[in-house]
Parts: sequence; C-alpha cells; structure tokens
Amino acid sequence: METAFTTIDNCLVVVPETRLDTNNSPEVAEKITEKIEAGERQVIFDFNKTDYISSAGLRVILVVAKLLKPAEGKMALCNANDQILEVLEISGFHSIVKYFDNLDAAKEFVSG
Amino acid sequence: MDSQEDKQTILVVDDAPLNITLLSNILSAAHKVKAATSGEKAIEIALREPQPDLILLDIVMPGMSGYEVCEQLKRDPATAAIPVIFITAKTTTKDEQHGLELGAVDYITKPISPAIVKARVQTQLALKKNMEDLQGAYAVIEKQKDRMQQELIVGRDIQLAMVPKVFPVSDDYSLHAVLEPCREVGGDFYDAFIIDEEHICFSVGDVSGKGVPAALFMAMSKTLIKSRASSDLSTASIVTHVNDELSKNNEGCLFVTLFVCIFNVRTGELLTTNAGHNPPYLKHADGSITTLSARDGMVVAAMEGIAYTENRLQLNKGDTLLLYTDGITEADNINQEFFGDDRLEKLFLEHHFESMEELTSHIVETTHAFEGMNRQADDITVLAFHYAGQKSAVERDFEIEIGNDLQAIERVTEQFMEFARKNDIEPKAITPVCMALDDLLANIISYGYVDDSHHLISIKVSLVRDSVVVVITDDGLPFNPFTREGPDTGLSLEEREIGGLGILLVKNVIDETYYKRHVDKNVITLVKKLTL
Repeated sequence: METAFTTIDNCLVVVPETRLDTNNSPEVAEKITEKIEAGERQVIFDFNKTDYISSAGLRVILVVAKLLKPAEGKMALCNANDQILEVLEISGFHSIVKYFDNLDAAKEFVSG
Repeated sequence: MDSQEDKQTILVVDDAPLNITLLSNILSAAHKVKAATSGEKAIEIALREPQPDLILLDIVMPGMSGYEVCEQLKRDPATAAIPVIFITAKTTTKDEQHGLELGAVDYITKPISPAIVKARVQTQLALKKNMEDLQGAYAVIEKQKDRMQQELIVGRDIQLAMVPKVFPVSDDYSLHAVLEPCREVGGDFYDAFIIDEEHICFSVGDVSGKGVPAALFMAMSKTLIKSRASSDLSTASIVTHVNDELSKNNEGCLFVTLFVCIFNVRTGELLTTNAGHNPPYLKHADGSITTLSARDGMVVAAMEGIAYTENRLQLNKGDTLLLYTDGITEADNINQEFFGDDRLEKLFLEHHFESMEELTSHIVETTHAFEGMNRQADDITVLAFHYAGQKSAVERDFEIEIGNDLQAIERVTEQFMEFARKNDIEPKAITPVCMALDDLLANIISYGYVDDSHHLISIKVSLVRDSVVVVITDDGLPFNPFTREGPDTGLSLEEREIGGLGILLVKNVIDETYYKRHVDKNVITLVKKLTL
C-alpha cells in the first residue's frame, strides 16, 4: 500500500500507509515538500489507515510544519489511533501541531 | 685455631686450690677454665651467662657436698643440661654408682692422669656440642614447619575470603554452595553472581596444588571469569579467554578444572562449558537424573590458544543442577573405598531436599560421615542451582540478521508482525515493538558505523509467558542509546530540532530497556509486557 495524496477542497490530504517509519518516511517527506513548493498551503495528515508512526514519521510532520510556518500555511492531524496519539504526546508534538478527531474538523481548521 | 671466644668453658669445683690449679694446667690450653672453691659458688657460676659447657665436680667439700651440688644442678632446668663429671678421692663402686645416679655423665677417681682427664673431658664436650647442634637444627626445622603451617593457613584464608557467602536469588531460581577446605588447602572454589538483568553466572573450579600458590591461582581464575563475564555472555569465550590469560606466565605449571554456567533468567536457557571438570548432575521435576557429560576442552592454564566449546540447555520448571568437585567423589573411607559418582548420584536421586542450602549441606555431611572423623583429604565443594521457572521458558522465538541498510529494517518489522499474528500477540504490544525496532535499527544503521563495509545486525525476538523480549546485537561503535538525553519536548516549532526523538519514544512505549557492551558488540534488550 502506498501513501495517498489527494487534494480535497484546496487541502492536501496525506493518508500514510500502515506505518510511517524509516522505510517510507523519506519518500513521503519528499513528495509533500514538492507539493508545498508547488503552492500547497493547507496540509492534513489523516492517520485513519496508519497503525503506528516512528520517530522518522514524526520527523516528516516536523519538516512539513517548518516549511508551512514561514509560508503562512496551516497543518492539522486527524484520525490517529491511541498509539499514535501517545507518540504525539510523548514527543510534545500535540502542543505544536493541531489535532482533530475527524477529517472535517481538520479541514475546517486549515481552511479557516 | 679457635679463638678464645670459641673455646668451650669448663667450671672446676674443688675446695682445695691446689687441685684447681692442677686441673687448670691440664685443661687451659684447649679450654676456658673457671673455678669455684665451694658448692654454693659453683651453682652461682653455673647459673650465670655464659654458662659453663662442663662442670668438674669434687664430692667431699665443706658446706654443700658435690652430690648435693649435682642434685641441685640437675633439678634446675636452667642448669640441668650442663654435663657434670665427678673428680673425687671416693673410689668405691658404690660411690661411683651414686654419682652417676645423680645425673653425672662420668666419674674420675683421684689421683688423676692428665691424659685421661683430657680425653674424658673432650668426649663430654664433643657430645654436648653435638647435642647443641642437633637442638639448633631441630629448632630450625620446627620454625620452618610453623612457617609452612602458617602458609597453608594463609592460603585457606584467601580461599575462604574469595568465595561469596550470599547468593543471587529470585522467584525464578535459588542457589547455594558450600566449600570446606581440608587442613591443607586444596584450591577449590565456586562463584555465583548476577551479570545483568537477564543473566547470572555460576561456576565451580579446582586448582591443582596446595598452599598460597594454589590459593592465588584460584583467586586469579575466579577474578578473570567474573571480569570477562561482565562483557561476554558466552561461556566458551569466557573459558577460552581465562585459559589464555592463565597460560601466560604460568611458571608453577598449575592448572584448574572449571565448570562455568551462564543462566538466562528470562528464558531458562543454560549455557555451560566444562574444562576438565567432573560432570554435573541435572535432576528433573519428575525425579530423573541426567549427567551433563559433554566435555568442552582440557583443563585450564595448561596450554595457550585452545578454543573451548559450549553447550546450550533448556532448563524446565523444577530442574536442579548439582556441581561438585572431586573432594566428594574421591573421598575415601577407612577401607579405602571411594565415595564415587554412583553414591553421589544415588544420594541426589533419593534425597528429597527442602532447599538448595539443605541439599548442599546434606551432601557434605554424608561425605563426612562416609570418610569418618577428621579424615578429609581434599577440599569439598558443592553448588546446587534450582530453577523454579515462575516465568515459563521461551515459548516461541525467531532470529533474523540484516545488513546495515535502512531498507532492510522493513524485513524485520514485517517478520515481527507475522510472528505476532501467528502467536496472537495483542495489537497494543505489536506497534510499540515495531516502532522501537524501526527507531533503534535506523539509529544503528545511520550512526553506528564509521567505515563503508557491510555489517550484520542480529535481532532475536522471544515470546515468554508475560512479555516479548527483543535483543538487538550489532558490531557498531560502542553506544548506549538509553543514556542519551532526549530532546526538549516543550520547545516551540521554530526551536525544535528535526530528529533525536526516537529513543525518547522507545523509552516511553517499551517497559524495560537495557544496554550492554559485550566485548566488541552492542547488545540492546527490550521487554514489552503483555496484558494477560
């Protein structure tokens, strides 16, 4: 399974595969970076298909957040399982990245 | 020529000055002559240092008679050793007999012949000299004997001080050992210590030889095993190393037999190496006994460069291992029968022990009873180890090796997921382990190597009853990831650095993390508890 990138209502929705880890993170980071450089300003990570993310996955989120900040873009995360929520909390990411329970709420935030 | 000082001194006792002069003339050429004109004076001089070597004693004197003087000299230990010769005008056999009975060595009657006096005096002085030499030699021997005794005691003290009296213990196992040195120390030893959270090491050894050299050799063997075990979990490798170290500079040509064990507390796996030692017994929960008869190499310290082997054995709940030295099996009774392997095995088989302490002391007592009182000829050592197996042994495991390539990590996580599915591991435990594998392996591959060569990383996953245990072994740079300080998670987006989060995550999602450097390898152990 590949990570899916779809643009819905002007938002780039990234749906990572089962895992966001060392193996696939560099590729995912590269693709999102390309899209931001091409003008995307609203990015959502939808984890509804993801079992877990490792620190390599966190790195992707951080890279994206840092790219969007000076461009005045917005980013949100949604649909994470307990495991991923725990990782976000442990890493302190919950305080720098917005999280929502569902895609619609996330979309509303980044479009606002 | 003898100087004046070396001449022996003769005390002449006579109330007649003329007789003194006469004897003095005869003797003074070869001897120092002192004189006393009364018995009282004679005793006084005899007591004074330097004491005379011989006394020539007249019998008929005013005051104390010669008999009385002789009697008193012989009664006083301070003067009893000085030989006395009577020189007297009393010529009857009865007089002579009486004089000799009083302790005199000779009896010369007046009138005297100078040649005979000289000859008899010479004889007695030579005898006295010989006696003194003998006594001197005896004193030297006694002193030497004391020193040897002392050395044996020192050796035994070293030996007893070196073995632990407190033993590692847990819900999963218990252990006890006894060492009884014989009068002359024989160089037995045992040891038992915790290596890390997962492993304990115990061993029994017997050094050839006695006394301080054997005790020091035993101390060296024990110390070498312990220091090596702290960074090396292979008994074969430990014994190979100890052998190489001890073989160097082994001028005394001592050697030691060893049985070394490393027990994995978590999995119940026992690793053993036998270097010329008596084969231990393993008693199972059903009461049957197996002899661990594998031999892994010759006695230690005899020859450098030997590669020892090791044996892997899965202990089961209720197994008891018995290690001992030949002080038990070669104990003999008054009929020259040996205690023997069969008797020990039978004893172990039939005795229902309450604890390891009770078992070891029962074996020692039975051996003593067999050989009889005060007959112990060699050190006796027994070590007993019992596996209670609260945590059950490894149920399932798998091992995988990958190269130092980030792409290969996926193979590990894939295989773990497959293993987890097959063994019904709860999903809640699967993802943390996958995350940890991903982060730790990525760390090792990205930062662990300074060269461009191909390296292998081994990952072993075991499922024990209440947890998943992952052991990652790599030959990269020595690095303990768990001591690294994690990033500050309170920083703002701008301040946050990319990376450095992996270890923090691992420490948070995994229940127990351990790091150890084993010789040239990093060994990381992760324990993820399962909720049952």
